[in-house]
Amino acid sequence: MAAIIEARGLRKQYGDLTAVDGIDFDVEEGEVFGILGPNGAGKTTTIRMITCVTPLTAGRLLVDGLDVNQDDRAIKSRLGIVPQDDNLDEDLSVRRNLEVYARYYDVTGELARQRIDEGLDLMQLGDKSGERIQALSGGMKRRLIVARALVNDPRMMVLDEPTTGLDPQARHLVWRKLRLLRERGVTIVLTTHYMDEAEQLCERLVVMDQGRILDGGRPRDLIAKYAGENVLQMHLMDDEQAMVRSLLAPALERGGRVEQIEDVLYGYDLTREDADGVEHAVADPYRVDFRRAHLEDVFLILTGRGLVE
Amino acid sequence: MANAKTAAPAPEPARRNGELPLLGVALPGRRTYRVWQRHRDVFFQLWRAELFPPILEPVIVFLAFGLGLGTYVELTGDQDYIEFLAPGVLVIFPMFAATFEALWGAYFRLERSGTYAAILATPARPEEIIAGDILWAATRMQISTILILVVMAVFTPSWGLIDSPLVILVLPLNLLAGLLFSSLAMAYTSRVRSISQLSYFFSLAVVPMFWISGGFFPLDDLPGWAQVLAWLTPVFHAIEINRGLVTGHPQWIDLVHLVIIIAAALPAFWFSLWAMRRRLVT
Repeated sequence: MAAIIEARGLRKQYGDLTAVDGIDFDVEEGEVFGILGPNGAGKTTTIRMITCVTPLTAGRLLVDGLDVNQDDRAIKSRLGIVPQDDNLDEDLSVRRNLEVYARYYDVTGELARQRIDEGLDLMQLGDKSGERIQALSGGMKRRLIVARALVNDPRMMVLDEPTTGLDPQARHLVWRKLRLLRERGVTIVLTTHYMDEAEQLCERLVVMDQGRILDGGRPRDLIAKYAGENVLQMHLMDDEQAMVRSLLAPALERGGRVEQIEDVLYGYDLTREDADGVEHAVADPYRVDFRRAHLEDVFLILTGRGLVE
Repeated sequence: MANAKTAAPAPEPARRNGELPLLGVALPGRRTYRVWQRHRDVFFQLWRAELFPPILEPVIVFLAFGLGLGTYVELTGDQDYIEFLAPGVLVIFPMFAATFEALWGAYFRLERSGTYAAILATPARPEEIIAGDILWAATRMQISTILILVVMAVFTPSWGLIDSPLVILVLPLNLLAGLLFSSLAMAYTSRVRSISQLSYFFSLAVVPMFWISGGFFPLDDLPGWAQVLAWLTPVFHAIEINRGLVTGHPQWIDLVHLVIIIAAALPAFWFSLWAMRRRLVT
């Protein structure tokens, strides 16, 4: 598979602020690629450079084989963009929104009608065609923006926090639609700070913080690398801290690790027996959970400000 | 890039970023029209609300001065005050419409509704978004001009407002003047950081211009410095030309006024593209 995005030494500087600090990554054609990171990590700036909205300060960025510094218009005509904020035309109907948008891509007449019908059906908005934007729920607006991004039949969709602010049902519906697009061969690049979203959708991802890429790869590989198989999550009382830590001391000598992030103590590479020991020792066993490691653990380990022991 | 999915329409051929750069801006292309179409569509969606103010304003002014207030103003010569007023009204209220659009309208699209951001994601260039907005503001000026012409035509049997069919030439004149006013307002909007700053342009530029333009009282009675100031305001030149068109007696000096408007409109348009581009592309 060929790379549809190639970023080398990608950098963006706003005055003294370095939003993106020389990052390298590739996105393969046809995959779902995630850019994860806390707020202010540089995700949106990276997206803005890919979509040719923001010029690079330094580095090289090829999208679909074209240089963003030279072929912005050609690149934009091949991308479908779902921005972080809803920026639909509030005064126009659902259908009219898509017609107006399609015209910017010179998609008009019968072709526009066809694409708009398809897009609305695909996003389950076929019966909302004549509605005003104000009458739509948050989830419907998001789906409409996805439908809008499809009017030019893009090779790649770029989504900036596609489900922020949606309720769980609406999020699952958006995810299902994105998987459907992926099955149709559309490459998908998305940013998120929701780990469940990344686990649900992304085949590969990078974790960013403070303008840099901390690590990247397939979610399950990253989980295995940083968090191992299981995690022991402990909400401890102050007077339990010392006791639990001494209880786990032999495990830590065997290669286990614990990490305090905010008010939660996480244990990695521990055994079921270690977990049982802690569970019996604390007053309320419900505050101790021995579970499978997931992406959130990786994220906290990579970006968390806790002390690694 | 071979790809069956994008067969129709053919993918846009690769073009150079900032093609034909002219002193830091790319020349706006055909997507300027796409942006203009968007504003037109929104306007017609809301036309009931949008159409009344530009009709009511001139009706109120003409009724006020035609029915009473005008008799308190005495002009040299035998012209009624309302006749003196008409050519000015035909420029000033449309100027308000254009300026309003390029200030509040553009600011709203820039900062509140995300309209500019949405269009920036498409193949439309920043210059095309700005030029489309300026063209739309000039169109608002045309709409207002047409409505006032209709109102004037209705009042002409009573007050003799229109003396010549030449008055129709006010449309191309106001289109030029509209590009100038909207470009200036748009350039100002590009520097504005909060909505309240927009009204400064109105109270410090538009309203003083309105008083000194020779539209509401003759400049001959003003001191020399005020007449010099009037020559520096774009609206004065438009009103002077328009006075000749409405009365049917254009003067040779009107050509000078026309050249001044064109000579001011071109750099103002370029400057607004440059200034707003800096705001949009960061």
